[in-house]
Amino acid sequence: MYKKILSFLLLVTCYLLAPRSLGEVGLLVNVAQAATPTPQDKTQEIRDQLITNIASRVAQLKLVEKRGIIGKVTDVTNTQITVDLQNNTRFVDVDELTKFSSSYSKGTYGISDITKDTTVGILGLYNKESRRILARFVNVITIPFIIHGGVAAIDSENFSINITTEEGKQMIVNIENLTRTYSYTQKAGYLRSGFSKIKDNYNIIVMGILDTKDKNKMVATRVIFFPEIPASPKVNSMLNKVNKSPQ
Amino acid sequence: MKAEKLILSFIATLFGLLVAGLAFYAFQATKTIAPLRTKTISIVSSSPTPTPTIFLTVDRPKDEEVVNNKTVIISGKTTSNAVIVVITASFQDVITPALNGDFATTVSIDDGQNVIQIISIAPNGESITIKKTVTYSQEEF
Repeated sequence: MYKKILSFLLLVTCYLLAPRSLGEVGLLVNVAQAATPTPQDKTQEIRDQLITNIASRVAQLKLVEKRGIIGKVTDVTNTQITVDLQNNTRFVDVDELTKFSSSYSKGTYGISDITKDTTVGILGLYNKESRRILARFVNVITIPFIIHGGVAAIDSENFSINITTEEGKQMIVNIENLTRTYSYTQKAGYLRSGFSKIKDNYNIIVMGILDTKDKNKMVATRVIFFPEIPASPKVNSMLNKVNKSPQ
Repeated sequence: MKAEKLILSFIATLFGLLVAGLAFYAFQATKTIAPLRTKTISIVSSSPTPTPTIFLTVDRPKDEEVVNNKTVIISGKTTSNAVIVVITASFQDVITPALNGDFATTVSIDDGQNVIQIISIAPNGESITIKKTVTYSQEEF
């Protein structure tokens, strides 16, 4: 009886121990295989590494893009320029690779030469996450001044016109010999014209350079006026306000 | 006996309420308010803000875009009877949109940063301006 029980217990023990020892053998085999990788495993490893690198680079490229901005400098430090883009502040980082230039300076130009209120054009890498631009090129530039409004008055003697904008801004525009004047009508289209053709209340667009001494004066380089389109109703209401206001 | 008492008390309450209501009505009807204590309130409806008769959307180019071609396509949509003026530092063009308001033109840009102004002017003189900064560069960085 004892023998039967003993043999039964032995059988059960063997059965329970058998898979474990087989597993150990398998593990040993695996360890041995890992120690000596086959060429196939190496290829797989390289492939995985390559996929990881490409995915990382693609993510980086999506996060960063080339951008060009124009703005007025509000603050400068050795590593950062703060630029105002029509009431939208942008932070621009500069490093040793950033190149500076100015059309007004023939010599070397650097970040120390940039002062507050300078208009700069910045080309660099914009990071969508940090919303900052890493500048690669910073140029001091001048952008032409453009005004759009209605003709409020014409001074034929001094070849100047008074323009009122929708915001109520008044500008005296001097027409020079270099000024190119164009008119646009539905019938005739876009034509070269002259100062004498400009009349009161015409819708007008003027491009030019602001007077450095008087901000309400400018010299026109190009003028486009529309004989068929009157000045905006807002311009007229502004003109009425100006005329009604006590002197 | 109990039921009679209950009915009587109910009738008495009802009668009391009726008398009180009549008295209150009489008081309110004969009440006079001095003209100095009265106030006239007039509600003036505010004039509606005039809605602009013109709209302008510019699909291309994207603002702050960097391009490696000196010719840039400007396209968008505006009021069909408007006139569109496209101005850069060295170029200007006046175009009219299609019947559905779509418009497209090409402009030449200079090296570096360019400000492209797209102005849509309605026949009554109202206008909308959109500015786009486009940079021409072939630099690799």
